[in-house]
Amino acid sequence: MNGQEHIAVEPDASQQSPGLGWNEIKTELVAFFASIKLAMFLFIVLAMTATIGTVIQQGERPETYIKEYGEEAYRWFLRLGFTDVYHTWWFTSLLGMLCVNSLTCFYKRFPGVWRSMKQDKVNVSLPFIKNLKQTTEFSIAASKETVAEGFVGLLAEKGYRVLAKNDPQEVTLYATKGIMGRVGAHMAHLSATVIVLGGLIGSYYGFQEFGVCLEGQTYHIPKGNFDLHVDKFWIDYHENGSVKSYNSTLTVLEQGQKMATKTITVNDPLVYKGIWFYQSSYGDSWDRIDVARVNVKEKDTDKLVGTVDLEWQKEAQLEKLGLKLLMTDFVADFGFNSTDKKVYSKTAEHANPAIRLAITEGPMQTSPWIFYHYPELFDIKGSKYAFELVGYQPKKFTGLQITKDPGVIIVWIGSTMIVVGITLSSFIYHRRLWAKVIPNENGVTVHLGGTTHKSQIDFNKEFRKLTERITKLST
Amino acid sequence: MARSLFLFDMTFWLYLAALVLYVTYMLAKRPAMSLAPAGHPVEYSDNDSGWAVQIGQVATIVTVFGWIVNSLALFTRAYERMQLSGTFAPWSNQFEAMSYVSWAIILGYVLLEFRYRIKAIGAFVVGIGFIAMGAASLLPYRYQTAEPLVPALNSYWIYIHVSVTLTSYAAFAMAGGLGVMYLLKERAERQGKVSRLYASFPDLETIDELGYKAIMVGFPLLAFGVILGAMWANYAWGGYWSWDPKETWSLIVWLIYGAYIHARMTHGWEGRRAAIYAVFGFLMVIFCFWGVNFLLSGLHAYA
Ligand code: HEM
Repeated sequence: MNGQEHIAVEPDASQQSPGLGWNEIKTELVAFFASIKLAMFLFIVLAMTATIGTVIQQGERPETYIKEYGEEAYRWFLRLGFTDVYHTWWFTSLLGMLCVNSLTCFYKRFPGVWRSMKQDKVNVSLPFIKNLKQTTEFSIAASKETVAEGFVGLLAEKGYRVLAKNDPQEVTLYATKGIMGRVGAHMAHLSATVIVLGGLIGSYYGFQEFGVCLEGQTYHIPKGNFDLHVDKFWIDYHENGSVKSYNSTLTVLEQGQKMATKTITVNDPLVYKGIWFYQSSYGDSWDRIDVARVNVKEKDTDKLVGTVDLEWQKEAQLEKLGLKLLMTDFVADFGFNSTDKKVYSKTAEHANPAIRLAITEGPMQTSPWIFYHYPELFDIKGSKYAFELVGYQPKKFTGLQITKDPGVIIVWIGSTMIVVGITLSSFIYHRRLWAKVIPNENGVTVHLGGTTHKSQIDFNKEFRKLTERITKLST
Repeated sequence: MARSLFLFDMTFWLYLAALVLYVTYMLAKRPAMSLAPAGHPVEYSDNDSGWAVQIGQVATIVTVFGWIVNSLALFTRAYERMQLSGTFAPWSNQFEAMSYVSWAIILGYVLLEFRYRIKAIGAFVVGIGFIAMGAASLLPYRYQTAEPLVPALNSYWIYIHVSVTLTSYAAFAMAGGLGVMYLLKERAERQGKVSRLYASFPDLETIDELGYKAIMVGFPLLAFGVILGAMWANYAWGGYWSWDPKETWSLIVWLIYGAYIHARMTHGWEGRRAAIYAVFGFLMVIFCFWGVNFLLSGLHAYA
C-alpha cells in the first residue's frame, strides 16, 4: 500500500485462544465490518445502484412506465423497487451498512491513532530502524550530544514533535508530524453516520408540503399555528423578455398581528419559526379568473349587440338588453363527474376553459356553461341571445413549498466534518522518523529511518534534505 | 460578447501550440540523460542538451501565456454578464464551464510543473485542457453566448458551488491524464521498448504518486462542491437532497473515487490497476459533466 508502514505488528492476542465465545464472535464481526474490502464493495455497489434512478424516471405514474418499458418490465420494476430506488429496503440497507462499516473502522483503528498522539514508541531497536521504508546512515565527526541536539533543533524547526532518549552508549530520537491527517480520516468516517442521522430526523420530524396560494388570500399554517397572507405575486423580466425572477410578498400573521413581511424569490425563501416558505412554482389558476370578456349576440340576426367585461363574481347589468350577468365559476379544463354531477377541472392546463354564467333575462334565470373553444355548443333555450366567451384574464397563483426539517442542521454538521476531515487527510500526511546516534572512533554514526502514511515522493524529498542538513551539522 | 469569444478562441490556439510544443519536447529529449543508476531516484532537472531545453521553456511560456489569456477571457465574460444581467459567474453555461475547467486544469498543471519540474506531463495534462477548450468551442454558437440566468440559477450560490465542483473535475482530469501516461509507459516497459519517448517520462512510481495526489485534491473538493449544492438546494428548492440525476451522478463519481482512495490502502491497488481506475473515474466525470446534461433530464438540465 501507499501508506504501508513497515513496522512490526504485535501478534494479535485474540488469535492465541481458539474457541467460540462471545469474544471470538466479536473479533470476527469487528474484523468483517472494519474491513476495507467491505468498504470498497459498498462504495462500488452504491455507485452502481444509484445509477438506476438516474436512467429510469422515479416516482412516475404506472402508465408512464408501461408505455415506455412494457408491462412485464414494469412488474419487475415494482418487485425490485426501481420506480423509487433510493427508498427501497435494499438501498437504505446499503447506506446503513456503510455507516456500520465506517463506525466499526473508527472503533477499531482510532484508538491506535489516539495512542500515537498521546504516547510514542521512542525505544526502538537498530534493526527496526534499518527495516523502515526510508533509511540512511552516515558518520559525523562530532560528539553524540552535539549531533543529537542539532538534530532535535532541526526537526523542531521543521515542525516535528521530537522525543529523545539519552543512554550512555547511544541517543535514540523519535520525531513525528501530521497526525491530524489521520484524525481527519476518522472524522470523515464518523460523518457518514451523522449525515444519515440528520436525514432520518428530517424524515421523522420534518414535513414538506406544497401550497397553491392566490394573491390577497390568507392561509392557515396548522403546523406552525400561524397565518400566511399572500400580498402580491408578480414576475420580473429581463430586457430580452426572458424571466428574471418570480416574486411573492408574504406576510406572517399571528392572531391577526403582522409578525413579518418578506418578498420571496426562487433563491430567497421566508423562514419563520423554523418553517421555510419557498417560491417554488407559479401559474394560471385553474378555478378562478379575474376578468372574462363576453360577447352577446342576437340569435335571430347573429348580430353583435354588446360586449361586457365581467369581473369575478360581480354582477353586471346590461340595461339596454334587459340582462343581468354574473360569472360564478371557472374551470380551465372542463370535466364533468357524472356520479356526483359536478364540474371540475381535469388538469391545471387551460385546455378547455369554460365559465358559468348566471343570466337573468327578464323573468327567466339560467346558468349555463360557456366554452371558450366551442361557442356554438349549447343553445340557451328561451333566450333571445347567444353568449360567447371571447377572452379572459387568468388569475395567477403562486406555488409555495412549505418545509420544516429539524434534521438539516445535523446534516450540515456531518457535512462540515466530512469536508474538514477529507481535506485534513488529503493535505496532511503522517510522518515518523527514528534515529540512533551511536558514538564511534572519530565521532558518531547516525542511523536514520522514516516512514510516511502516504505521499511518498514528498517524503523522499524531505528525507533527503533532512539528511543533507544533518550531515552538515558538524561544520 | 464578441470580445470574450475572441479571447476564448485565442486561448484555444495557445493551448494547441503548447500541446504541440510539449509533444515536441518529449520527442526531442535525450533519453540517456534521464536514466539513472538502478535504485537511485532521478532528479528531473532539465540538464538535457540540444533543443529540448529551449522547446521545454517555450512550451511552459506558451502555456502560462495561454492561461493568462484564458483568465482574461473569463474576466471579460464575467464583465459582459454583469452588463447583461447583473450576475457575473463566468461558468453559467456549458461553454463557460468547459472554459473554466480547462483554466483550472492548466493552472493545476503549471503549479505541478513549477513544483516538481517534470515537463513531459504537459503533453498529457495540457492535452486534456486543450481538448476541454476545443470541445467548448465546438458547441453551437447559441450555447457560447451569455444568456441571462434562469431564475433558479440566479443566486450567489452559483459562484461557489459550480466553481468548486468544476475545480474538482479538473483535478480528476489531471489524474486521468497521468493515468494514461502511466499506462503507456508501463506497457512500453513491459514490452521492453526503450524508446526515447518513454524515457522522457518520469518514473512509474512518480506518475502513480502524482495521480494519487491529484485525486486527493479532487476528492475533498467534490465533497465540498456536492455539499454546497445541497445547501443551495435546501435554500432554493426546499430540500437538500432530491436524487436529481446531476446530484446523484456527482455522488456516484464521489463514491467511485472513495473506493479508489480506500483501495490504495490494500495491496495491489497502485500502479497499473490504479491508473486504469483513474482513467475510468475520469470517464465517469465526463459523463457526469456532459452526459447527464445531454442525456438525462432533471433539475440541472438547464445548466
Ligand atoms: C463513509 C464514507 C467514507 C469516507 C468519506 C472516508 C474517507 C476517508 C479518507 C479521506 C481517508 C484518508 C485516506 C488517505 O489518507 O489516503 C480514509 C482512510 C481510511 N478509511 Fe475511510 N472513508 C469512508 C468510509 C470508510 C469505511 C466504510 C471504511 C471501512 C473499513 C474505511 C476505512 C478506512 C481506513 C482503514 C482508513 C485509513 C485510516 C488511517 O489512516 O488510520 N473508510 N477514509
